[in-house]
Amino acid sequence: MNRPVRDDATLSRLLAGIASGDEQALKSLYDLTAPKLYGLILRIQRDRSAAEDVLQDVFVRVWQAAGSYDPASGRPLAWLCAIARNRAIDVVRRKGEVQGPVTEDGEDWVERLADPHDSEGAILGRDALKACLGRLEAAQRDCVVLAYCEGYSREELASRYDKPVNTIKTWLHRGLATLRGCLETAA
Amino acid sequence: MSADPNERDLRAAEYVLGTLSASERAALDLERAVDPATEAAVRAWERRLSPLDDTIQSVEPPERVWQKILRALPGRSASAPANDNRIEALSRQIRLWRGAALTAGALAASLALVVALGRFGAPPVTPADTRYVAVVSRGGEVPAFLVSVDLAAGTAQVRPVGAETPAGHSLELWYVEGGTPKTLGVIGASARKVALPADAKAAQPGAGLFAVSVEPPGGSPTGKPTGPVIYSGTLIKD
Repeated sequence: MNRPVRDDATLSRLLAGIASGDEQALKSLYDLTAPKLYGLILRIQRDRSAAEDVLQDVFVRVWQAAGSYDPASGRPLAWLCAIARNRAIDVVRRKGEVQGPVTEDGEDWVERLADPHDSEGAILGRDALKACLGRLEAAQRDCVVLAYCEGYSREELASRYDKPVNTIKTWLHRGLATLRGCLETAA
Repeated sequence: MSADPNERDLRAAEYVLGTLSASERAALDLERAVDPATEAAVRAWERRLSPLDDTIQSVEPPERVWQKILRALPGRSASAPANDNRIEALSRQIRLWRGAALTAGALAASLALVVALGRFGAPPVTPADTRYVAVVSRGGEVPAFLVSVDLAAGTAQVRPVGAETPAGHSLELWYVEGGTPKTLGVIGASARKVALPADAKAAQPGAGLFAVSVEPPGGSPTGKPTGPVIYSGTLIKD
């Protein structure tokens, strides 16, 4: 978090510049967000060379799709993270790749849901998510968080918990439905 | 793919979570591109879960990545990128397929499907309300296919115009209504007549959508799209 100018207004302005073909704006956006996105991609695609390819693809995509970014649909960094996550997941699912062991469990991720350098709205969203994740059964919460943050597939979760894939799917669905209900109440 | 909103929402949630299989992801990519409710469900889940992104630690990428990006930028500053959500969704899928035989340029030049109603056959055409055309195009290029719908016969004629089939694959035509794609079969190099689903509401502009996906030779083995959607178009009044 040593990049203080990575605020929504700056990122939105850069995306608008990229949409009009400004290569310098793409470079500025890259400088501000590539470490974050690379970190995100590496959690899912742990092979560094493959992760570099995904990062490259993400920015080529941003170059082509910046015009479709709609500030009303979410914050610019969240839009970029969604692109990076989707690309990383697409690559590992297409390869049917099984990732190496992870060093953290779901609790660690939930605990880290605190970052003082952010707007009030973002903190509210984070607090709500943290509170609602806290209401899930531990196994359901860990499945949701490990899938999102570490790119676990249903099969990898099944292996981790020594449960059938269908059980994992049920856990995920129950966890997600509870989460949705809780967040809607919080909103 | 049922139309059950709860089932759809859980699929959207698992898509964002990343736990769908490759083929389920491809099917949802298609659904997103053609069904605003699915796209909205995906966006809502992205919003709900995005605070978890804040927990991710930054890692400085090697400097060579930026150089590779510069070399990979299509067109560089030559033209403004597409400015449309559907084009964005489709071109995302196209890029997934970039490793295949097609170049991005070839696709960009023919990202269009024209759907026309009442354009062929002997029956007289009532000009006012039976002609529809849909074009999805990156900028006025030659369309990829012309799909002519004959409502009386319940058929559509598919005529390749500027379409290119990736080597070692087949292109499959889908009719999508209510978020559920139904296959109209594999399309080849020559014009073909296909039967529309019996309950198709293709006559109503905006009711249904035609989409073309890249599939293994002979078509999708699952009955649902498994590869990227590279062309799509809806009926609109001509």
